Amino acid sequence: MISLTGLRVLYGSFAAVDGLDLNIRRGELFGLLGPNGAGKSTTIRVLIGQRTPTSGSVSVAGFDVVRDWAKVKSLFGYVPDRENHFEEFTGRRNLEFFGQLYNVPRARAGTVLKMVELDEAADLPVRGYSLGMRKKLLLARALLHDPPIMYLDEPTANLDIHSAEVVHRILRDRVKHGATVIMTTHNMEEVEQICNRVGIVCRGKLVALDSPLALKQEHTERKVDVTRKDGEQFVFDMDNPANLGELSRLLTAGQIATMRTREFNFHETFLKLTGLTFE
Amino acid sequence: MRWYIIRALLVKEWQRHLANRGGIALGLLLVTAAVLLSVFAPRGQDKSAGANLVGGVNHCFVEYDRQTTLITHLKENIPPDMTARIHFREFSQAPTKEGHILYTVGSGGLQIREIRPENSPNNQYTIHVAVWHPDGNPTALAPYETWLWKEVRRWNVARAQLRGVPTPPEPDFDAENQWMLTESHKRFQDQIAEAAAKGSTRGRFEPLAAVTGAAIAFETTSTPTIIPDLIVKREGLGGIVLDIRSAIVTGFVVFALYFTCVYLLPTLNCEERERGILLAQALSPASPLEIVAAKALFYPTAGITLAATIAAVYNPAIVARPFFWLSIFAVAAGFLGIGMTISTLARTQRAAFLGGMCYLMAVSMLLMICTLNSIPFLPYLAVEYHGPRILHAAINGDEVNWFLKGNLFGAAFLGVVWLTVAVRLFRRRGWQ
Repeated sequence: MISLTGLRVLYGSFAAVDGLDLNIRRGELFGLLGPNGAGKSTTIRVLIGQRTPTSGSVSVAGFDVVRDWAKVKSLFGYVPDRENHFEEFTGRRNLEFFGQLYNVPRARAGTVLKMVELDEAADLPVRGYSLGMRKKLLLARALLHDPPIMYLDEPTANLDIHSAEVVHRILRDRVKHGATVIMTTHNMEEVEQICNRVGIVCRGKLVALDSPLALKQEHTERKVDVTRKDGEQFVFDMDNPANLGELSRLLTAGQIATMRTREFNFHETFLKLTGLTFE
Repeated sequence: MRWYIIRALLVKEWQRHLANRGGIALGLLLVTAAVLLSVFAPRGQDKSAGANLVGGVNHCFVEYDRQTTLITHLKENIPPDMTARIHFREFSQAPTKEGHILYTVGSGGLQIREIRPENSPNNQYTIHVAVWHPDGNPTALAPYETWLWKEVRRWNVARAQLRGVPTPPEPDFDAENQWMLTESHKRFQDQIAEAAAKGSTRGRFEPLAAVTGAAIAFETTSTPTIIPDLIVKREGLGGIVLDIRSAIVTGFVVFALYFTCVYLLPTLNCEERERGILLAQALSPASPLEIVAAKALFYPTAGITLAATIAAVYNPAIVARPFFWLSIFAVAAGFLGIGMTISTLARTQRAAFLGGMCYLMAVSMLLMICTLNSIPFLPYLAVEYHGPRILHAAINGDEVNWFLKGNLFGAAFLGVVWLTVAVRLFRRRGWQ
């Protein structure tokens, strides 16, 4: 559905994106992770046609983003990281205006407002909205024309737990109906919860690409924390035969008070992969 | 171009102004001012008795029927601070309309005719000076008149001295006191005639040409006196005076077009860009061309509507004049091009506002400097030079002469130039 091949974007001599290869399938919810300045937003800007690649190519649904931008832009809905509403208009009027541009029925504005749970505040001017409400209005705008592709730049930033869950539910629903979603986020739990696949970028390069489960399997530490009955604590490495033998002996002798396998820690994995671990 | 998109964008612009109200409030104020101007005209403030908006006379034309020693003397004796303001021309070189010489606003004329004795009723060599000053301001030419009277007297003194006649000392000149001027000239004539009668001349009737070697057209030995008669006539210049109300209405009309196209269009456009709303529209099915077209349609239309309303409040007959519509469209095109150029160059709303202000200041300075220093042609490059002239003429219902046609062509040409600049810049830079 979405294909990035050798994508390279330079800002002067600085490579914001440096040879990115990525294929995103139809009906996939793809999470793009990375530290600040990793190239996530630049990648999204290229996808929405607001930044021309220095080299490489980007195609969406078979259309080249640069060459066929007019065809591509009706295929996606975009939630920017910075809200951009007409402050003096109400939430409903904002959506009605964009609905007219997309040539969708006027009632559609009410439908999407209800989806993002903004129907009660629909007739208030946007200047009175909270940051979370503004963010949800952005999502409502992106949903107006029921697009097959959605790009979301940190869609749950500034949202409370309930509102974030509303967004997750909408995205899952969109994916269930065949839409392709690419979202950037810093929220590791969010990625684990809803993304089918995750790409971790750092300094413009892709450093990891897999499903959260596969990443979990690959990066979970195979270690066991053991506390003996006398209170002494040990860490056994499951990949070390000597450690395995010692653990087996302790178990047989009944000397173990507590034993716990280590959980996958996405945050630590992210830091390790991006080289940002604090040693 | 899809009409439903253009319509949505136009309605959006209108609703934004309805929500903010500042632009509409200013528009209503302008219309109210036009109504007040129309209803409460001060007594006597009609077209024929209006005041000149341009104070003083910046250019004085010395016009003559033929090259004589007096004209040569005047040309050779212009004070340094007046050289840029005093212009000599023969009557045949002056622009005319229906047989009358045309003087532009801020100019006046000193017409000098030397009458041969055989054509003079009293058989005297006579200098006839007509002072053409702006209506209602007879002293506007005083500095030029002071120069003229002094130099005429000096020329006469030189003539007398060439003949060996002793001359009285130079009196103080008061150019504003015509009685004193003519009386002092008569006294000067008498003094010279008396001195000449006492036989102190070298050759009483000697032709001046033989003495000075200058090309004298008609001074002959038949001239009975040395000092010619002096006749001074003063006339107000009809037709150049601005009617204060029509001038103000013209100002309102120009301001309405400037406000919508050079202020509102760039500032609101840059505000949309700054807040990312322009990007949101660009990512919708609306093409950049449609977004630009909607703005290029809305703001000039709003400006023209407002300007036409103001003009129609002042004089409803204006709307039936094709020249008025041609003028307003030409000026609106120029301002639209300027506004769109600023929109393309400015990154922020503040930059757009300052850009509009800087443009206004730069043009005002250019026009002022060019007018004061008689710099030709350069003002023709400003829409603001042509615009007020054609709009004022249209509002006043003046006859459309070749001069106004030239201004209309100039405004339209500059409109095309500015729009071309805006389109080329937009293609290169876009609004992103």
